Amino acid sequence: MTEDGDAATLGDAATLEDIVFAYERGVTLPAAEEFPPPDGEVPDPDERGGAVLRGVDLSLPAGSFTVVMGASGGGKSTLLRTFNGIVPDFLNGSFAGSVEVFDRSVPDSRVPEMADAVGMVLQDYESQLFGTSVGAELAFGPENLAVDPADIGERIDDSLSLSGLDDLDRGRPPSALSGGQKQRLVVAGVLANRPDLLVLDEPTSDLDPLGTREVLSVVRDLADGTGAARWSGPDTIVTVTHDVEAALLADRAVLLRGGQVYRAGPLREVFTDVEALRSARVGVPPVVEAFDRLGWERERLPVTVDDAADAVVEADLAWRPPATDSGGEGDGDSLPGVPAGTGTDVGDPLFELEGVVHEYETDRRTVRAVDGVDLTVREGEAVAVVGHNGSGKTTLAKHLNGLLAPDEGTALWRGRPVDDRSMAEVGRSVGFVFQNPDHQLFAETVAEEVRFGPENFGLAGDELDRRVAEAVETVGLDGQEDADPFAMSKGQRQRVALASVLATDPDAIVFDEPTTGLDAAQRGRFMDLVARLNREDGVTVVMVTHDMGTVARYAPRTVVMSDGRKVADRPTRRLFADETALSEWRLRPPQAVALSNRLAETVGPADALPALSVGELVAGLEGAATGEGTDTNTDADARRETERGTSTGPVASERGDSP
Amino acid sequence: MSSSPSLYVDRATPLHRLTARSKLALLVGVFTVAYVFDHPLWVAVPLVGSFVALVLAGGWRNFRRLAYIVGALFVVGFVVWPSFTPAGGPVVVDLPVVRLTRRELLFALGRSERIAAFVVGGLVFVTTTSNEEIVAGLRSLGLPYAFCFALGTALRLFPTLLGATSTVRQAQAARGHEVGRGGPIERLRSYVPLLVPVLMSAVRDVQTQSMALEARGFDTRGERSFYDRRTFGGADWAVTLFGLALVVGGVGLSVLGYGNV
Repeated sequence: MTEDGDAATLGDAATLEDIVFAYERGVTLPAAEEFPPPDGEVPDPDERGGAVLRGVDLSLPAGSFTVVMGASGGGKSTLLRTFNGIVPDFLNGSFAGSVEVFDRSVPDSRVPEMADAVGMVLQDYESQLFGTSVGAELAFGPENLAVDPADIGERIDDSLSLSGLDDLDRGRPPSALSGGQKQRLVVAGVLANRPDLLVLDEPTSDLDPLGTREVLSVVRDLADGTGAARWSGPDTIVTVTHDVEAALLADRAVLLRGGQVYRAGPLREVFTDVEALRSARVGVPPVVEAFDRLGWERERLPVTVDDAADAVVEADLAWRPPATDSGGEGDGDSLPGVPAGTGTDVGDPLFELEGVVHEYETDRRTVRAVDGVDLTVREGEAVAVVGHNGSGKTTLAKHLNGLLAPDEGTALWRGRPVDDRSMAEVGRSVGFVFQNPDHQLFAETVAEEVRFGPENFGLAGDELDRRVAEAVETVGLDGQEDADPFAMSKGQRQRVALASVLATDPDAIVFDEPTTGLDAAQRGRFMDLVARLNREDGVTVVMVTHDMGTVARYAPRTVVMSDGRKVADRPTRRLFADETALSEWRLRPPQAVALSNRLAETVGPADALPALSVGELVAGLEGAATGEGTDTNTDADARRETERGTSTGPVASERGDSP
Repeated sequence: MSSSPSLYVDRATPLHRLTARSKLALLVGVFTVAYVFDHPLWVAVPLVGSFVALVLAGGWRNFRRLAYIVGALFVVGFVVWPSFTPAGGPVVVDLPVVRLTRRELLFALGRSERIAAFVVGGLVFVTTTSNEEIVAGLRSLGLPYAFCFALGTALRLFPTLLGATSTVRQAQAARGHEVGRGGPIERLRSYVPLLVPVLMSAVRDVQTQSMALEARGFDTRGERSFYDRRTFGGADWAVTLFGLALVVGGVGLSVLGYGNV
C-alpha cells in the first residue's frame, strides 16, 4: 500500500506495512484496518492515548530524501525508530506489522545488527557523543562493527569530509566544539558506519540558525551524493522536523495525522496543500500561505523564497512594504524597545543591567559568557534576545531575576539591585520559564505543581486556590487539574510550567527557548497566550530564542548577543532589514522577511523595511496587485492593524485577513 | 556555552602519555601507602603527592568541582574516627563538648587524610585518562568489555548529573523554593522538588544514550575491534615498577612499625 508510484521505478529502501504500535506492553492491538482513516475527525495526539502508530503504510524509494512531519506526539519519532528496530527491539511496547529495510526484516533484528545499514541521529547531540576526542568518537561505531582497525582511519577521514569537518583536529575534545559542529560530529560518527539509510530525528531543533544551516547543508549534500571519493554517503535519507524551512530541502514529504500517513508524495505537491498541512498541524511555509491568501492557484504557488521572488517579477507585481527607512512608520527608532505596531504603551524601566559581566571556568580557561552588557527593559515590553549557541543569551537572562549574580556591573529590578533582594522577593515579581519543563516538574498533579510557587511565596487559602484556578484556565488546562504532568505531552508540560509561573502573578516573565519541540499549532497557541499576557495584562516579556519566526511575529524589539556582547538592540523590523549584519551574527531571517527583503532589492523600493508576518506580506502584494497606488497614512494604519492581528491572534484569525 | 561533560582534561603531560594500565599500577601503589600508615605525616605523603600531580595535570577545576565532597568526608571522618581508637598521650583538645588525646587526634587526622588521598588519587586518574583508555586499561586486566564501558560511561555521566542538578536547583529557586529549611522532616521533604526532576532527567538521558549506543552498533554480545590503542612503552614499565615499589616499600615499612600512631 505505497502512496505513490515512485517505489515501483526506483525500488524501495524501506517498506512499512500495517504498522501499529503502542508504548504500553501487552496491549491487544486492533488490526490496522480497524482504525478510522486519517481524513476524518481524529483525536488530538495530546488526548488520544493508546496506539501511537495506527496502521502506517509507507515506502521510502531508494535514493530519496524524505521529510516526515506532523503534530507533536503524533508518532513521527516513533515511526523513524521502526527503521532500525528501536521499535520494537529497544522500545518494546506492543507492536504489529512489517518493516523491511534493504530486504531485511527489522522486527526480527536487534538494533545493533541494523547499525551497518541504518544510521540514526537524534535531537540531543550531547547524549550521542561518547568519545573524549573527535578521533575516538568517530572510531566508536566502526569498532562496534568490528571493522578492521587498518580501515577505520579511512572511514574517519571520509565521514569528516562528508560532514564538512575536514579541518577538525582529531584529538580535539567534542566538548570544545560549537553546537552545530557537535551535531555534525554526531552525523559523522553515524556515517562512519557507512549506512545506506540515514535517519535524522529533529537534528536541528537545539541549534542556532547558523548551526542549523551547517547541518542542513551537510544533509543536502549527502542527499545529492556529492561526498568523498571513497564513499559518497548514504543512499536514502529520512528526517523528522518541525522546521518548515528545513523541510523544504527534502525531495519528498510525508504528513502524519491520526497516527497514519495522511499525505505523501513529492515535496511541492504536499507543501502546496495548505488545508492538509493545517490539518496535520504542520506549519504552512509563509511564502505558500501568502500566495494562497492572494488567491493563486495551487499549481502556481511558490514554495521557496527564490520561487516567490521570481513569481512576483513574472506576474509583474509591485511591492508595497509595510514601512520604509525614510519616513515610514518609524518603528520606535527614537527609543529602542518601544513595541512598534503592538499598540502597547511602555512604562518605567523594569530591568536595568549596567556593564554586566559573568564568567565561568572550563578545564582550560576562564570564559566571559557575558561581557559588559547594558540593557534596559521597560514595563509592558516584549523583547527577544537572540544569538548563536554559546552567545551568552541565557546567561544574560538569568541575571534578570537573580538566578546568577554579575561578576562585574549591576543588575537592577525597579531601580534596586537584584542581589540585594531574596530569591523569594524577586521570584514573586519575575517568573522564569525554563527551556525544558522537565527541569522543574515534580508534583503528582497539575494543581499541586501550579500551587508550588505561590505557596513558597506565602500564599494560602482562597487566594491561593483562586490563583491556581486562574493560571490553569489561562493556559487552557482547566479540567485537567488532577492529571499527572509526567503523562502529558511536551506542549502540555510547557503550559503547566507556564501556569506554575503565572500563579505567582508576576510583573514580568523570562522565557528560555519557549517554542523548542512544539509543533506549529502548539507554538502558535503558546505564543498567542504569551502575547495576550503582554498586551492585555501588561506582563513584561523577555524571551530567549533561536526561532526567528517567533521573534518576527511576537517581539517588536530584539537584542542580539554574540560572543557574550550585546551587538544590536533594535526594533525587530529594522534588525531584520539588515541581512548582512544578521549573517555576521550567525542569524537568518524567517521566510516572510527574507522574501520582502528580496523584493526590496528586485522590485523596490530600495529603502523598504521588511514584512514581519504573512499578513503584512499579503497586504504589500495585494495592494500592489490591485493597483491601489502609493503608500498613504490610511494604508499604513491599516497595515499596522493587520500586524496587530497577526501578532496577537492565532493563525485562524490571521487567515481572517485573507482576501 | 556548554562545559566539558567529562572529568578528563585534555593535556599533553607525562601522566597523560602513560597507558591506563601503568597509571592503575601507580594508583595501587599510592593507595597502598595511604592505607598502610596511620600517622598523618606519613599519610600526607601520598595525599600531597596526588594533589600536586592533579594540579600539574590540569585537574584543579575538577578538584574544585568535588572539593565540597572531599571537605565533607574530611570533616565527618575527623569527627567520627576518634571514637574508634583508644585514648592515649596528653590531652590536646579539652572543650566542654569534646576532649581529645594526642593519639585520638593523630588517628582521626590520618584516617581523614587517607580518604582524601583516595579521592584525590582517583581524580588524578580520571583527569589524565580518557574514557577510551580507561575501558581499554580495565579490559586488558581481563574485565568484560561491557562492564568496562559501563564504568567509563558512568564517570562521564557524573558531571552531566551535576549540571542537571544545578539547572533544577535554579528552576525551583526561581519559584521561591529553598532547600534545607525547617525541621528534619521538612528538610528531607524540601529535597523532593530537586530529586524528582533530576532523577527523571537522568532516566531520560540514560535511555537516550542507550538508544544512541545501540543505534551505533554497540553490542555486548558481539566481537569488536580497537583503533589506535597506545602500546605499553618504557615509561609505562618504569611507572609500573615504581607503583610496585610503593606497595612493597609501604607494606614493609608498616610491618617494621613506621608510620603508626
